[in-house]
Order: sequence, then structure tokens, then C-alpha cells
Amino acid sequence: MAEVELRDVRKEFGSFTALESLDISINAGEFVALLGPSGCGKSTTLRMLAGLDFPTSGEISIGGRVVNDVAPGKRDIAMVFQSYALYPHMTVAENIAYPLKKRGMAKTARAEAVQKAAALLQLEPLLNRKPKQLSGGQQQRVALGRALVREPKVFLLDEPLSNLDAKLRAYMRAEIIELHQRIGKTMVYVTHDQLEAMTMADRIAVMHEGRLQQFDTPDGVYNRPANRFVAGFIGTPSMNQLEVTVSGAEAVIEGHRMPLDRSRYVAALADGPAMLGVRPENILLDGGPLPGTVRLIEHTGHEQIVTIEIPGDYRLLARAPANRRLSHGQEIGIGFEPEAIHLFEAGENGTRLNTDADAEVIPMTMRQGGKGEDQRP
Amino acid sequence: MRTPFLHKLLFNLFTWSLVLLVTFPLAWMIITSLKPQTELFRIPPTWWPETITFEHYWRLLTETPFLTYFRNSVVLATSTTIFVVVLGTIGAYSLVRFSYRGRETLATLVLFTYLLPSVVLIIPLYLMMVELGLSNTLTSLILAHTTFALPYALWLLRSFMEGVPEDLESAALVDGATRMGAFRDVILPQLLPGIISTALFTFILSWNEYLYALVLVNSESVRPLTTGVMSMLITAFNIEWSLLMAASVMMSVPLIIVFAFLQSYLTRGFGAGGVKG
Repeated sequence: MAEVELRDVRKEFGSFTALESLDISINAGEFVALLGPSGCGKSTTLRMLAGLDFPTSGEISIGGRVVNDVAPGKRDIAMVFQSYALYPHMTVAENIAYPLKKRGMAKTARAEAVQKAAALLQLEPLLNRKPKQLSGGQQQRVALGRALVREPKVFLLDEPLSNLDAKLRAYMRAEIIELHQRIGKTMVYVTHDQLEAMTMADRIAVMHEGRLQQFDTPDGVYNRPANRFVAGFIGTPSMNQLEVTVSGAEAVIEGHRMPLDRSRYVAALADGPAMLGVRPENILLDGGPLPGTVRLIEHTGHEQIVTIEIPGDYRLLARAPANRRLSHGQEIGIGFEPEAIHLFEAGENGTRLNTDADAEVIPMTMRQGGKGEDQRP
Repeated sequence: MRTPFLHKLLFNLFTWSLVLLVTFPLAWMIITSLKPQTELFRIPPTWWPETITFEHYWRLLTETPFLTYFRNSVVLATSTTIFVVVLGTIGAYSLVRFSYRGRETLATLVLFTYLLPSVVLIIPLYLMMVELGLSNTLTSLILAHTTFALPYALWLLRSFMEGVPEDLESAALVDGATRMGAFRDVILPQLLPGIISTALFTFILSWNEYLYALVLVNSESVRPLTTGVMSMLITAFNIEWSLLMAASVMMSVPLIIVFAFLQSYLTRGFGAGGVKG
């Protein structure tokens, strides 16, 4: 049974619609990331789950119980805030004990529970300090401890790592994944960082402008993006998107013909304009039908990101192995791996036209290698 | 080397003359209150009293209604302070945390009180008090003082309240607190500097207030210190300087003591008000 369920949830702030009819169903023990750019409605969704905001319409249930009218403290949830929201005037121990105190737990039982949580998060030496005397990572752990200690059904985490520096973020990310594996509780994690979502979540809900774009596994959102937004949002560098004209078994880009395997796309794919999407790692740089000029080469150490100008004033980003010799201004023929070509309906946010036969082609290792966001300055 | 030295010297001279300017009346007040009547008008004046006497203090405490006035002032200033802090805190919470139509307008309208000179407000206020059957009572003064201390307190507390992150309250709610519980456990402790500085401000304002006290209250038993001491010691024919100075000392000492202890909060309060208000 679904642990957390949103049914046709809508949220308006005055005349502004923050969320349009959201339907999400999260299984018990699942780690779900709500991912999207700022203003996409992901934090609003989390706040509604927590009971800090109220849906304009629709139904929210947690653990099989409709909680629309249930106070935050009675929803059997715990939340970690982006700012950590530690109570500054209380010690670490008092902070962690606060939710237990509010539930009327006896003092000795409280102390025991605090000890247990502190042990789990290696907070024992800090129990008597005030939040101000802690580093960012330590504060983060206290916030996690305060959430853990009540053993709630569902954990809600609102961009918990965004205030940490890159190194600590990578470390805490691993800690949270481990924690999830150890306690096996349902977690809903809001983030705008696709790396966090991809590495941590069992499933990712990609949101944009108050609408759910796709709710799928990391593999799914990466390899089978439901529409142009998801295709462009997931992946660094993001997927190249070109206007093409589909004509029989070919996609025509400014008069240059790229072969297409029609069997990979929906039967409804008609000849005419469409958007072609191809990831940087699926661009072939050794002779192809499309003429290109190398404009920029960025070495990242283990690979290089090449900007190639092609007809129609497009600039494609391609991944090339570090040892591949390329020079600025070099003319090369470009091709796309035929099994990795995505087609989308033409238009603002066209939906994907592929059938999902290509699901397994792109190996995970390649994706992981490419998304080294944390190494960036 | 010479310029910095000169600079320093001038700066010090300037600062110390300011200090002198401020402290001299205070010092003179204390010195005068300790001089015997005979030494008071001697020319040239004695800087340090030749004989130190506490007779003025004694006379004030035993032969005059000074203690009644003092008690009235304490009751008046304390009640006003409690009133203003409670109303101001709740009001500021509402202005910062809730959203409703006309919230900003309301906050601005409250400040309108300060656009009118208090003299203009006194007569209507007096008539209202008569209507309410409160004329010539301490309650009327408490209400009057509340009306002019509350707007400023509201704005001061509002800027403090804005400094308390909303996440803290949300966290408390998620942790199982009720709204009132979250307010008490989390917001109030964070607001304490603001509350102290507001309380101090209100207390001083109410303690020193003269005009309303003069108009709204006229019987001996309910007069506060300001008007009481004036009417008692200053008549058309004679001013009892030494008694007046002794009374002044006793009036200022409580304030100075409280201020010395809580001064850092007050200046912080002015800072907060200055930045946001």
C-alpha cells in the first residue's frame, strides 16, 4: 500500500497557481526525490505533506490516513529544513529531545532515545553544545537526529544539503543514503540538484511550473525523459536539442540527413517537424553526415567536453575521451548513436515519441562519470 | 606622527566635553541634594558640600507623600510595560506571521498616533476616560501611556520578530508543538532581547511622562512622581530646591540602575529598529 499519497492536489496562492493537480503515490520505505528548478512547486508540495501549508483542493494521505485536517505534529512525519531550524537556545540534546518532550515521553526514556540517536549520528561529544558552536555538517546531523529520534513513518527533507560546501555535501549525501538503507523509512527529499536526486533516490518526481513532468526511476528520467523539459533538466551537460524535419527513415537537419530507426518511435510519429534530442555522450565524432566545427574544448581531466558548431547556428556539446586529439577550428563529421536518438514533439515542451525499447542501451557507468558537479569550482 | 596625536587629542577633548555636558547636571543634582539649606545659595558655590546631610531625603520620605507618588509611578510604569509588551508581542506576531488584507496598512496606521502632537490627543482622551468612568484613576493613565507607547513597541517588536526564522516555528509545529506551544518554546526565547528593549523603552517613557499625568489625574493619592513632586515642591512663591533635587535623585536612581544592567539590549533594540523600521 502507498505510504504517502497525493491525489489531485492543487495549491493556489491568491491568483498564482503554485501546483496544478498533482498525483503522486509513494511506497513504504521508498526514497523519493522531488526535483525541479526553484518555483516549480516542490517545496510547496513538501510543506503540504508536513501540514505547514494547506492544499487548495485535493487529498493528502499518509499511512493510509487522510491528513488534510491533521496538525503537523500529529501526522507521524519528521522534517529536516534547509536552514536546519535548530532551536538556538537549546543544547543539542535538548534539540533532539524536543519532539519527544512534546509527545509527553518520560525524562529517562527521552534521554535514552537521545543517546541512541546521537550514537547513530556520532553526536555524543556534542550533546551539551549549543547549535551556534557547531559546524554546518554537525548542525545538519543534529537536524537529522531530531527527525530520527521519534521514529516517524515518513521523513521529509527540504534541500538539507544545500547549505554545505561541496565536499561536505558529498559526504552527507553518502551518510543519508546509508541512513536510509539502515532504517528503511520512507523519505521524501526536495532538491534542485539533479546529482543528489539521481544518486540518492529510488524514484524522482521531476517538477516544473507547478506540474509533475515525470515520476520515474533515475534510470527512467535519464534514459527515457518524458518530455523536452526533463530531457534538458536531467544530465550535465544537458541533452542537445535540435529542430529537425522527420522524413521517412531520416531526420533532416538543415538539409543534412541523419538516419532514423523508425521502429524505435511511436507509430504516430508523422513526417514533419520534431525536436531531436541527443546526449553529449552519444555524439560520434569520427565521420558522420553532419558537418561541424570545433569551437571550444573543455578538459575535465578524465574527459573533454567539446562545443561543436553545426549548420543552423546550433552548438552541440559532445563528450570525448581525454586522449582524443582535437583542435580548435577543426572540421569534423558528426553522427549520433542511432539507438540513443530521442525524438520529441515540436513545440514548447513536446512529449517524447520514442517507444521504450532503448531503455538498456546507455550504461549507468557512463552517466555517473559525466556528472561530476561537485568537482566544479 | 604629529597629525595623529593632534587628531587624537581633539577627538578626546570633544568626547570628554560631551560626557561632561551630560553628566554635569546629574552630578550637580546629587551634590545639591546633599547640601544643607544654608550652603545652597552661597556665592561662590561650593563644589563639594562642606557638610553632607541626608535630611532632605529623610524629610521627603517621612513628611511628604513622596512614597505614595513613588508607588503610583511603579504601578503605572510596570502595568503599562506589561500591557504594551503583551499586546505588542502578540500584535507583532500577527503582523509578521499571518497574511490578511490590510496588514501593512494597519501597521502604518498605528504610527499615525505620532503624527499628532500629544496635546491634541489629551482632551479627547480625557473626555473618553470621563465617559468610561475612569477619570482621575491610575487605570486611565495606564491606558493613556499604552496608547502612545504601543505603536513604537509594535514596530520595534515587529523588526525583532522578522529576525526569527519562520522555519524555527515550522520545526516546532512538526515536532508536535501547538501554535501557542511553538510561540512559547521557540519564538519567545528568540524574541527576548526585543522584549527586554521594548520593556525598557516603555518603562522609561511611562516613568518620565508628565503631560498626560498632569491632565488626566489630579488627586494626591493617584499622582505619579513627575506631577506629584512638581505640585508638591514648586509653588508660585517658592521652590524647595534641595527637596526637589533629593526627589529627582530618587526618581532617577531606579532608572539608572535598570538601564545600566539592560543597556546593551536597549541599544540593540534601537539598532534593529533603525535598520528595518
